Amino acid sequence: MKSGRKTAIIISALIVLAGVGYLGFGSFGKNLIYFVTPSEVVAFTPEHYGKKVRVAGMVVKDSLKVVPNTLRLTFDLSDGAQTIPVAFEGVPPDLFKEGQGAVVEGFWDADRTFHSHMIMAKHSEDYMPVEMKNAGAELPKKDFFKTLKVE
Amino acid sequence: MIIELGHFAVITALVLAVLGIVSPIVGLKRRDAVWVEVGRQAVTLNFVLISVGMLAMIYAYLTHDYSVKYVYATSNTKLSIFYKIAGLWGGHEGSLLLWAWVLALFCMMAVHIHWKTQPAVMPYLISIESVVLTGFLLLTLFLSNPFERIFPVPADGKDLNPLLQDPAMVLHPPFLYLGYVGLSIPFSFAMAALFSGRLGEEWIKATQKWTLAAWLFLTIGILMGGYWAYYELGWGGYWGWDPVENAAFMPWLVATAFLHSVMVQETRKMFKVWNLFLIILAFSLSLIGTFLVRSGILSSVHSFATDPGRGLFILGFVAFMLLLSFGTLILRSAKLKSQIEMDSVISREAVFLFNNLFFLVALITVFVGTLYPLLVEALQFKKVSVGPPYYNTVFMPVALGLVFLMGIGPYIPWRKASAQNLKDLFLMPSLVALGGLVFFLAVGIRHSYALAGLTVVCFVAVAIFRDFAKISSFWAKREQVGRLQGFLTAYKKNPRRLSGILTHIGVLVMIIGIIFSTIYQTEKILIMKPGDEVGLGSYRLKLIRLYGAQGVNWEAQEGLFNVYKGEALIAQLRPQKRFYTVSQTPTTETAIHQVLMGHVFVTIPEVSPDGTWARVRALHNPLVLWVWYGGGIMGIGVILNILRKTRLKVTAARPQAAAPEGAVSLPRQAREEVLQHRSNRWQSFLNAVRPGRKEV
Repeated sequence: MKSGRKTAIIISALIVLAGVGYLGFGSFGKNLIYFVTPSEVVAFTPEHYGKKVRVAGMVVKDSLKVVPNTLRLTFDLSDGAQTIPVAFEGVPPDLFKEGQGAVVEGFWDADRTFHSHMIMAKHSEDYMPVEMKNAGAELPKKDFFKTLKVE
Repeated sequence: MIIELGHFAVITALVLAVLGIVSPIVGLKRRDAVWVEVGRQAVTLNFVLISVGMLAMIYAYLTHDYSVKYVYATSNTKLSIFYKIAGLWGGHEGSLLLWAWVLALFCMMAVHIHWKTQPAVMPYLISIESVVLTGFLLLTLFLSNPFERIFPVPADGKDLNPLLQDPAMVLHPPFLYLGYVGLSIPFSFAMAALFSGRLGEEWIKATQKWTLAAWLFLTIGILMGGYWAYYELGWGGYWGWDPVENAAFMPWLVATAFLHSVMVQETRKMFKVWNLFLIILAFSLSLIGTFLVRSGILSSVHSFATDPGRGLFILGFVAFMLLLSFGTLILRSAKLKSQIEMDSVISREAVFLFNNLFFLVALITVFVGTLYPLLVEALQFKKVSVGPPYYNTVFMPVALGLVFLMGIGPYIPWRKASAQNLKDLFLMPSLVALGGLVFFLAVGIRHSYALAGLTVVCFVAVAIFRDFAKISSFWAKREQVGRLQGFLTAYKKNPRRLSGILTHIGVLVMIIGIIFSTIYQTEKILIMKPGDEVGLGSYRLKLIRLYGAQGVNWEAQEGLFNVYKGEALIAQLRPQKRFYTVSQTPTTETAIHQVLMGHVFVTIPEVSPDGTWARVRALHNPLVLWVWYGGGIMGIGVILNILRKTRLKVTAARPQAAAPEGAVSLPRQAREEVLQHRSNRWQSFLNAVRPGRKEV
């Protein structure tokens, strides 16, 4: 075998790897979503406003309010030390209710409200991965291809 | 009593599994066939004993013996028989027992099938399989014992998770396990090849159908999981890059790469170390996958810490298996340097190389995405999750590349393709694909991945059907028959190639389904009152009324929806918001109407207490069924491949079979192999292992 051919094979393989590696890991940091507690959210400074995070906590009893004839609802989320108001729009999962753990995804803003579009409720079943006390596994999952949609 | 009998049987199986590790090795060391025979009997007995354990558990389920803690946790008197039995793998403890049972079954089958044809590697195989079985039985018996009792005995069970009370979900875990465990046989053969030094192509030939079967089970398991998520979870999608899904997807990716790259070793004797590496990796990933899912480590290091015993054992066992297998591979790989090297970038070998490269990139992506959050949490005490966009950015181009290679790989010549070859093979598909692209643009498809995907699918489809036409007419001419007959003759002549291509057609169908059902999905989430209407693509959905409904162990609020196409009423849908009374859990029951190959899909996640309005999630998923139809075609292709006749060569030939007068005409390699066998000092005991061939 001529060494030129070998080089050609290696180079083309490397180009493919580099291309795909760039695609995946170039945006890796952007695609990480951090889990935070309500206490951390309360301490957020303006540079954190509008950044997507997940907050884990308990849904405070008697705080859940449904805005009539809309998909909006509001509730308070607490970690024991701090409580934050959450404004949610969409379909909450089956296991979402007051007095139980939930994880909400969304962002904190200058209006001191957490704006969320996705709730994950705590799932106690053994089949699903056992979550930490304040995290959840029952996702109202969005199909991944939908993230491709040009919006 | 029965439960104790089952428990005792499984404990005995553990003892025998340990014996199964040791005795074949002793047999090899002392060249004593009796010890190997002991190992063989232990394998059979293990299957019987673990079956007794399984039956005892099933008996406990059927007799409502809630003094067994695990039965109490996963069953209920009101459940139907089907779900009562399925409760056995509805939780952690029982599913590990099922794992061990499948492993014992496969091991027994492998020993039975290959005992005569592969006697030289059987002792190693028994020993390695027994190591895996021992690990699982230790975990089952000491850290998550399904036979454990509780006192006082509860009056009734806690019920099986309502989400699992679904046919697809009942069969999903067993199929995944059949796949995971099925990979252990090729793995053991590979390890046996490494230990015994018999590193030719025979281990690949012997394990080909095992790998295909394991791959098939894994595929069915994954597709069923997707269907369950689509139908039962009601999120309207079938894949969410959930860590649990990824755990099953990783071994699948490597197994697929392996199935392709073994062909290079068979034909060109290349990629020897690589193939060993791939199969070891595939089985390691199925071990890692099982443990990640079943231990709870995956979603949180915290839950891992809550049961340090189980977690540490798991980690230790996986680490031990990885060290043992990869360590042996590294030590032995020097022996495996291939004499043949690649001639050209434009050759079938190179296509396979790139195929493997793409699969490996896909694997690394999923692996990093799945495990990175764990790493961060362990090091920084922070929790992160990796979003789907990360996976998408890598997967789209990789999938496109792989599909493109599907149109080239089966047709491009080995070694080196000439310019004329390429023109003959790919000019027409390229032109048609170009025409397709223009057509798709003309009908208004603008999404870049949809365009690229459909164009590549066109290219591959034309390449495949052109090849079909060519071979059909070739055989039709030669045998003087019709074209269809010619095609069937071609299939008979080369069933493997054609069943492989059928699998590729399945992939194309699935890709089309994925493109349409996701990129062209219509989703509406809204509040509806009786009388309200909502448009859904070319369909309309009208809520007629909301009312109560009841089942054996659930109560529900049900909605009645009319589906219209134009002015015509085409269907009525009845989605439910259910509440399971025993386990006190709500579920959302999907209602689906099939339109062409797509779905109109409705759920009511919330109904107001007075029944005047409901939250409605309505979807139109065009061609979504093609995802599963494609899976079905892939499955048929693989089944045809498994069913084709093959003759396994007897590798350790009996002395008289290797007649010296025939040796002259044998190819050099085969002759050398025969000579090697004759000088092989193990031969004496291998002969003795066979019945009626005792050597004194």
